[in-house]
Formats: sequence, C-alpha cells, structure tokens
Amino acid sequence: MGDSHRRFLQTMMANGIVDEQGARKLIAHCCEASNTQHNPDKLDDFIETINLKLQPMFMHITKGMSEDSGHQFYALVNMAETDVTRMSSDYADNELELFRKTMDLIVCSEKGNASSTDILNSADTMTTKKLKKSETEHLLNRLVHDKWLNEKRGEYTLSTRCIIEMEPYIRTMYQDQVKVCHICRNIAFQGTTTSVVVLCEKMLQMYKHRHKSVV
Amino acid sequence: GKEKASQLAAEGAAFDPPAFTEHLLSYMGLNRLNDGEDEQPIGEAIGYLPPDAWHKVAQRAESCFRAAPSFHYMMGSFHAEPPPPKQRME
Amino acid sequence: TTQVQRGLEKLTPAQVDQKTAEVVQFFLVKDQKKIPVRRADLVKHVVKEYRNIYPEIMKRAARIFDQVFGLKMIEIDAKNHMYILINKLETVEGASPITNPTNPKMGLLFVILSVIFMKGGVVGENLIWKTLKNLKVDVGEKHEEFGDVKKVVTDEFVRQRYLEYTRIPHTEPIEHEFHWGQRAEVEVSKSKILAFMGEVRIRE
Ligand SMILES: [Zn+2]
Ligand SMILES: [Zn+2]
Repeated sequence: MGDSHRRFLQTMMANGIVDEQGARKLIAHCCEASNTQHNPDKLDDFIETINLKLQPMFMHITKGMSEDSGHQFYALVNMAETDVTRMSSDYADNELELFRKTMDLIVCSEKGNASSTDILNSADTMTTKKLKKSETEHLLNRLVHDKWLNEKRGEYTLSTRCIIEMEPYIRTMYQDQVKVCHICRNIAFQGTTTSVVVLCEKMLQMYKHRHKSVV
Repeated sequence: GKEKASQLAAEGAAFDPPAFTEHLLSYMGLNRLNDGEDEQPIGEAIGYLPPDAWHKVAQRAESCFRAAPSFHYMMGSFHAEPPPPKQRME
Repeated sequence: TTQVQRGLEKLTPAQVDQKTAEVVQFFLVKDQKKIPVRRADLVKHVVKEYRNIYPEIMKRAARIFDQVFGLKMIEIDAKNHMYILINKLETVEGASPITNPTNPKMGLLFVILSVIFMKGGVVGENLIWKTLKNLKVDVGEKHEEFGDVKKVVTDEFVRQRYLEYTRIPHTEPIEHEFHWGQRAEVEVSKSKILAFMGEVRIRE
C-alpha cells in the first residue's frame, strides 16, 4: 500500500461513491500524484490492496451496480455495528427513524419508490421525537445531498450508495419483500418483471437485446 | 514563506479590511448593480452574490487546509433489530 | 512501559487489534464534525478495561492512520490531552478527476482566519462582524447557507478548535476577541493564506 492507495481512499471518504470510469481516472491521477507505476487493467487489484488494510476496521470498498444505468460503482462502506459506530453524528435518532420508515415504504412498494406525501404521513407515526413538516422536508433534502436517497419529481428511491452499503441490512430486514434478480442475484428494486421472473436493469437490457421481438 | 508570513503579519496595520472584502467580493463573483459611474463608499458594495459564492471561497480555502477527509456511513449508525421470527405452518 | 507490557501479555493479539480498530473508528466518528478527541472520553467510552495498555493502543491507532489513511494523529492540547487528525498528503497540482463536495462553512472560516492572521493574531469581534457584513453575511440574521452565523462562528468553530473566542477583560459592555484555535495552528498554512491574499488583490 502506497500514497496512491491512500489518496484514492481519501477521495472515497470524501465522496462515498464513484462510478467505474471515475475510479479508473482517479487511480491514474493518484498514481501520477505519487509518481508510481499505474496499470489500468489492475483496477480490482488496486482496490483489493486497500480493502485488505481496511478489513480490521470493518470498512470496505464494495462494488455494486446502479439500477438505473446498469453501470458499476464503488462505494466505501461501513460493515460493523458497535457502540462506537452508533456514535455517528450525521443524523439524530429521530432522523434515522424517519430514514428507516422511508426505506420501509420504498422496499415494500410495488415500484420501489415513495412519494414525499407518503413519507410526510409516515412521520406522524414516529416513536422518537416527532419531526415537523418543514424539518422532514429539510431532512429529505439532506439525505439526497448526502447520497442516501434519490429524488425525481417528488418520488424518492434508494440511491446506489444506499443499496450497496445497506444490502446486508436490506436482505435480513426485508427477506420477504425484497425482489432478487433471477440471474445475478442482486437486489432489484426497480427490477422489471418479465412475466414471472424479476430481472435487474442490466439483465433486462441483455434480455431485450437477445429477444428484440419479445419485450 | 513562513518568515515572509510573520513579517507581513507584523505589519498588520497595513492590512485594510474594507479593501480586502472589496477584492473578495469580486473574487466571489458579485453582480454589481450600479453602472460604475458613481463610486460607492468602499465596503458597502451594492449587488448580489451568485449562489456558489461561498463554495468558491471554500474550494480555494481547501488548498490552505491540511484537513482530513471524514468518513460517513449509514449502516451501523443505528441499532438494527433482527426481523421477528417467522411463523411457520407445520 | 513495563506495566503496558504486563498488560499486553494478558491479552490475545486479536483483542488488542479489536480495541485498536474501535479507537480508529472513534476518531473517524468524531472527525465527521471535526470535534477533537479527548483522552478522557476515549478511555471512558472506548478503551475502558484496556486502559492499562492505552499508550500501546494509541501507538497502533496512529500507525493505522499513517499507513492506511495517510493521516496524522496530533495532540493539539497537551494539558487537556486532545487529539485531532490532519492530512499528511500534499494537495497536488492538476485537478483531480473526482471533485470532492465542498462545505461553504470552510469559506466563512477561511475569511475569519485570514483577517485574524493579517491583523497580527488577534481581532476584536466587531471587526469580524463588520467584515462578514460587507460580505453580505449579517450576524444578526439567519443566513441561507450558514443558518445562525453567530452560533457557527462562536460555537461550532470554537468546539472544533479552529477559533478561540475569549472575553476581553474589563470591558463594559462585554466585548470578545478572536484568536486562531489550536487546530488552525496545525492545520492551516499561513504562507498559503498570504498567497491567496496576493491572488485576490491581483484579480482587480
Ligand atoms: Zn441481475
Ligand atoms: Zn445492534
């Protein structure tokens, strides 16, 4: 592990997530900055070197796919839940409760989204300190800004960063609701159902490609 | 660098805050509303700043700070109860 | 040191590694809001029953920050035993392909630190409020980006140890003055501030 890996890790800390193309450019930049040889074909080796060192701290750079585009992404995630990790100060307890309610709404919905109205309504059923309407709206903006949620015309979906980091949580908490892609076994929220099987966006595109007349 | 720094700081009297803010407003991209004909009293520039004005200063400031990037995460920040055991029909 | 060695003998390497990882996480969590880590809090909330090997755990945590993250653990207050993390990697010429998100508050802080520095290390608060007002940040009003400006400057920046905000003795009504805080002293480059001052002036 050298300065190029450290510089890469620092950028991952600041950004949380990068797409594959960004990761490639970033590695080139980090290697140049520390005058080290750089092999463009060894992207996953480069990241594995960092992951080996992150493992004792229960941190990991995890690869995952965007459901919208089918592109690969890398996210820096936390994998442990301890007394120390729960001291995280980005969100207050009631804000975290609302985030989890929003996840419930999204995961249990047909299309994998939740409207701001539904989220505002669910804020009324909170057990921790209730959030006012304006506070909830402000919180939703922050969650989008921090890349935990996506928003489009008042509809909220889970971001790629959220799905990558929260995957183990989603799989245990929502065993029954979660749709899994028939082919790659990834979680498919927006996943399109072709008759009986659920396919993630990437597999759906491949399916369409091969069976142009069918879909 | 450091010597020059303390030397200049010692001449703190030479530093003129209104002139500094005037220059800084230009740096931040102030849209001046006057036509430039009549000079305004310094330090009371009329106009409005673009929405990214402070981001611009912040971005420039970053190269002067040796700040550590911080690590933010969602999973592990709250207690996740395991799902209730499934009721099985035998 | 012999006490530390005796303590280590009673523990498995895995136990020591686990405790070190918790200390690293605690630093990372506190750094989310740039709050310095106090030794007392660290011992109370994390190190706990491992306090007899505290020096060894800190040494290992510092090594992880250095070797894995490119960060340096520094004691900024030897009296109260407070630690912060600073970056060991130099900023490089040539833009990174990934631009990090910026926090506008850093701009506000930078302006205040610059004025204090250019005024020789200390300024009365009125000059700061006046300077900010000229930059269209009114300390008495809620600012769009910063919210309660007075709270950000005299509370948040002070807790982070970027600024010191102290009462000037024997003033009626009460007046305060600003100094650079201990974090600013190790984290902020004075020569780079000067370079910026020159740059701002040249632009006109
Ligand atoms: Zn799939
Ligand atoms: Zn738990």
